[in-house]
Amino acid sequence: MSEKIEEDVRIGVFVCSCGSNIGGLIDVKEVAEYAKNLPNVVFTEDNLYTCSETGLTQIKNGIKEHNLNRVVVASCTPRTHEPLFRDCVKAEGLNEYLFQFVNIRDQCTWVHMKHPKEALEKAKEVIRMGVAKAAKLEALENIVVDATPTAMVIGGGVAGMTAALSLANQGFETHLVEKANELGGKLNIINKLFPTSQDASELLASLKKRVESNPNLTVYTSAKVKNIEGFVGNFEIEVDQKDKNIDLTIGVIVVAVGASLLTPTGKFGYDGNIRITQYELEDKLRNNEVNAKDIVMIQCVGARNDERVYCSNVCCMTALKNALIIKEKNPEANITILFRDLYTPGTYYEEYYRRAREAGIVFMSYKLEKEPIVEENTIKVFNEYIGEEISISYDLLVLSTPLIANDDNKELAQMLKVPLEENKFFLEAHVKLRPMDFATDGIFICGAAKWPVDITESITQGYAASARASTIISHDTIEVEGATSFLPEYNKSLCTGCEICITVCPYKAISKNENDEIEITQVLCKGCGVCGATCTSHAIIIRHFTDEQILSEIYAFGGI
Amino acid sequence: MSKFYLKYMHLEVFNIMSFEPKILGFLCNWCSYAGADLAGVSRMQYPPNIRVIRVMCSGRVDPKFIFEALRVGADGVIVLGCHLGDCHYLEGNYEAEKKFDMVKRFLKLIDFDDRVRLDWVSASEGARYASMITEFTDHIKTLGPSPAGKDNPDDETLEKLKAIEEAAGGDRMRALVGRERKITEQENVYGETVSLDKFNEIFDLAIKDEYNRHRILGLLEKESKSVKDLAKELKIDSSIVLEHMVTLKSRGQVDFGELLGITPTFHKL
Amino acid sequence: MVDNSKSALIIGAGIAGIQAALDLGDMGIKVHLIEKSPVIGGKMAQLDKTFPTLDCSICILAPKLSECYRHPNISLYTLSEVQKIEGISGDFTVEVLKRARYVKEDVCTNCGDCATICPVRGVPNYFDANLKNMAAVYIPFPAAVPPVYIVDKNSCVYLNYGICGLCATNCGAEAIDLTQKDEILEFENVGCIIVAPGYGLMEDVNPLTKYGYKKYRNVVTSLEFERLICASGPLDGHLRRLSDGEDPKKIAFLQCIGSRSDRDQKYCSSICCMYCTKAAMIAYEHNNDLESYAFYIDMRAGGKGFQSFLHRGEDEYNIKYIKSKVSHIDIDEDESPIITYEDLDTSEIKQIKVDLAVLATCIIPSEGIDKLADVLGIELNKYNFIKTDPFFPVETSVEGIFTCGCAREPMDIPRSVAEASGAAAKAAEVIKGG
Repeated sequence: MSEKIEEDVRIGVFVCSCGSNIGGLIDVKEVAEYAKNLPNVVFTEDNLYTCSETGLTQIKNGIKEHNLNRVVVASCTPRTHEPLFRDCVKAEGLNEYLFQFVNIRDQCTWVHMKHPKEALEKAKEVIRMGVAKAAKLEALENIVVDATPTAMVIGGGVAGMTAALSLANQGFETHLVEKANELGGKLNIINKLFPTSQDASELLASLKKRVESNPNLTVYTSAKVKNIEGFVGNFEIEVDQKDKNIDLTIGVIVVAVGASLLTPTGKFGYDGNIRITQYELEDKLRNNEVNAKDIVMIQCVGARNDERVYCSNVCCMTALKNALIIKEKNPEANITILFRDLYTPGTYYEEYYRRAREAGIVFMSYKLEKEPIVEENTIKVFNEYIGEEISISYDLLVLSTPLIANDDNKELAQMLKVPLEENKFFLEAHVKLRPMDFATDGIFICGAAKWPVDITESITQGYAASARASTIISHDTIEVEGATSFLPEYNKSLCTGCEICITVCPYKAISKNENDEIEITQVLCKGCGVCGATCTSHAIIIRHFTDEQILSEIYAFGGI
Repeated sequence: MSKFYLKYMHLEVFNIMSFEPKILGFLCNWCSYAGADLAGVSRMQYPPNIRVIRVMCSGRVDPKFIFEALRVGADGVIVLGCHLGDCHYLEGNYEAEKKFDMVKRFLKLIDFDDRVRLDWVSASEGARYASMITEFTDHIKTLGPSPAGKDNPDDETLEKLKAIEEAAGGDRMRALVGRERKITEQENVYGETVSLDKFNEIFDLAIKDEYNRHRILGLLEKESKSVKDLAKELKIDSSIVLEHMVTLKSRGQVDFGELLGITPTFHKL
Repeated sequence: MVDNSKSALIIGAGIAGIQAALDLGDMGIKVHLIEKSPVIGGKMAQLDKTFPTLDCSICILAPKLSECYRHPNISLYTLSEVQKIEGISGDFTVEVLKRARYVKEDVCTNCGDCATICPVRGVPNYFDANLKNMAAVYIPFPAAVPPVYIVDKNSCVYLNYGICGLCATNCGAEAIDLTQKDEILEFENVGCIIVAPGYGLMEDVNPLTKYGYKKYRNVVTSLEFERLICASGPLDGHLRRLSDGEDPKKIAFLQCIGSRSDRDQKYCSSICCMYCTKAAMIAYEHNNDLESYAFYIDMRAGGKGFQSFLHRGEDEYNIKYIKSKVSHIDIDEDESPIITYEDLDTSEIKQIKVDLAVLATCIIPSEGIDKLADVLGIELNKYNFIKTDPFFPVETSVEGIFTCGCAREPMDIPRSVAEASGAAAKAAEVIKGG
């Protein structure tokens, strides 16, 4: 049922010969003749190359001279040529969604070369199906919403500051929200940075200075995001800063909340005194408190095991860095690093590993099944290569622990309506090709909040998230193709409020508004059609692939 | 084999050999349609029986499309999407899988399940597309023409297909299949995760029930009937028919009709 | 928004270059995308599947290729190389040599009639790792963008000897123009340049003799292996030994070939640990009897889901990981590779015979990077990759010229994509920030 205004449907069918690719196997003139007798068809023509300038002109002339209000082109494949023909009909004043493509080359003449008679019949039938759908097509407008040119970065560590700076430098009003009372995140804890051994405080100071002096950038420390409403280009966000409420209208959000440190209680005799974590070591090194002579470091503590499968990326380099610092200060120190697989990929890091070895640091591998045994003054570790258990005496034991997801990731994820993966880090839209995006439009992720990364990559990702965010707010409006899902007014009474459509939408485009009505946010809809196929009352309509349109193709297929 | 059969066997073989199936395919834009195009660009040949309807996502394929296709005479229907995990729209093909599973269970009730297929073809699998269509076409050829085929459709089959389509399209079945992934992979409203086996138990029961209920409704389309008559036509127990009647009445879909002697009849509302 | 007519010029249209182009184009900035080869997509287009998701590579890449091609803000120049630049950040002038394709790009309908009729057949197709031949007029793979054929000027007999020309006379659309000439294009008002030439293959410059590469038919490189298992590759995805056509039942994946070595490259090639497991998994999918052996020094799997991926390899795909150092490869009378290695878990020298050996060769800087660095005036580091500071990761030594991806150091696709977006952000800061 629809509220379509009944009109006189006038379809023009253009059958392409594609040189000899189609015409060489089937008689396109016969096909065009056949199409003339199909319902609603008022004009047909065969072209040598419909996609050529000549062909496109023929289409435009056909529209003009025969008052066509639907165009069907039967040629190659819509995947390459639909945009071209849509532009063509649009140029002649016809809505681009009133165009239907029929594939009679890639899926007909090219694949049935030994059956020309059958290929001819098939071409006729698929054109009949295409014409049937064309008769049911409706004009559609693209969806346009305003985009507020402001950004919010949640998290003021190195990734967050980098993202915020980049956005501000591009000219966007940017708001940086940080939970702690100062910016910097883990940069406040780290002593020196690998692979250059620069002071972390220098990098932090430089970033802070740039952040604080940028006129487009407003920083809120001791501040937390309390509530988020709205959608891409139009988020309404409430920030709580020391019990003061701040309301902001934001175009795009970048999540840069980083990760947390793991305290390895109960592992390897950890006591926070002489059996410490790498981060506690950073502090001691900064204060020049390390006087130990025999140092042992154990890698993969609480990582790459049943409890936590993943590798935390930064621990090996951190251990190497701290070992080199100790060795530099005290060349007589004996440092042994017990590792399972040493993670120093790439050029700089592999070089760093060599430096560490050349400096006299001893590397000994151990297996997960035979973990080192920590005693009062010695560590016993079984070395596969030698085939013996080795005893190493120590006066300082450093445990390299992984970065873990923040406890409050879940709360933030729920507010943003974005997913977490099994380790509770944030889950991006696509691991390979959309690493900085969430599936929900307008929200981006960078840094250790997504997965443990080092400072270099945190900076890269901060820039990357800003670029992705910028693609949205660089324009006054956000436009999406009109072939979206919608719940028309006349079907609202059919909706039972079961909310299953909300569950199945991967883009969180469907929600319930304050009147308890189902609302499909057009600008978030990607047109997949799953909600329409799922709706228990058959109330949702998928534009350009409606039930009516697809059924018309099915009936034409059945010869009805 | 009887002599009679042997004498005329060649005609039957000839019939089967000359039977050209009508096959309808639903291909998703991003993977399977692209794979089909690649088969074309690579000139990989396959039988000319298939007609393709392009959808954006295999998750768009509403079960009613498959049933309608069979009702208008398709001998086989194939739905092709992206490989699981590769869906352009992230999860559409998982939904397609669940819907198709329901379609198959319904069609199994009338021995039609062999005529439909769901599979995955990626954009780079031109050769796989060609061999899949070849294999499916051959498969349908051996099954022979559909009893609902255009040339000589069997009324009972058409009536059963209609009942299935309406049963699958009812809000109960659509709700079950729509919630399936959430309930079995995450949790239901009580915070419990239902195992797939348990779900399928409930599902199969629902399928059988709704099928019979809609067959009843179908038979009551033209005239009122008694429970006994319905039981005889449907070849199921009267007690079961009565149970369904009670449910249908509570749903407001049937009501009492005239009395035939002392036997009540029901009519469709 | 600051309306700016400045453009960005991106050198290299692999996944990194493409991502940067799309980001900048989507921001409303005009992009000139310059690519040396006749098609875009780089190495990623040659892969079968990608780790850790086992997505079909060309399937996830193709929409990006299309988007690039149709984007109103992106101008694509293939068969093109930057020859000279002048100016400073915010205002570069760039001279580009656009080599003749001999086919008119806006006329060719990609029908392939030319290739069918071309008499020159034995041209090795670099896209198929030279494992398959093509004609002198070709398109490297069917879904290539731009969807336009190319005449290879080195093997075309018309261009070299003045004979034939059948492709031109047979082209229905009259798209072939064998009189086309190379052109010089000049781009002014270029705000920033992004250098993303990707990486080169060690096997192109190193004979890898102790592994028997090119000597033994059953020793292949990882890229060759990708093409062999690829559904649209030379064997249509049915993996067979190149010596006798038999199905391999034991495959060895040798990591760290030419990397982490004092003799060849000292650095780590980053991605081989992951892609060897991936390759073994794909091979297993084709043949469930397969036994795979991965020879490694340190398994490097730090990315998201990477460790789980390795576990799956071990648990479900019959991959045995051997901590080892490989010495060399011999063959037996069946041409089956015999690998001599030191088992680092037992300190013994061992040998293992397999049906096929795959060499995970080191990623080296892109071919021609010296010349490119010279033209742009940017510094290379001691490994000949583009030099960057760890805390200014996408900036080169020249202001306004940015870099990303494997041009900097070996890295996987997610990192390349992130870096590309990062470089786009820096470019946007210059172009929009003023």
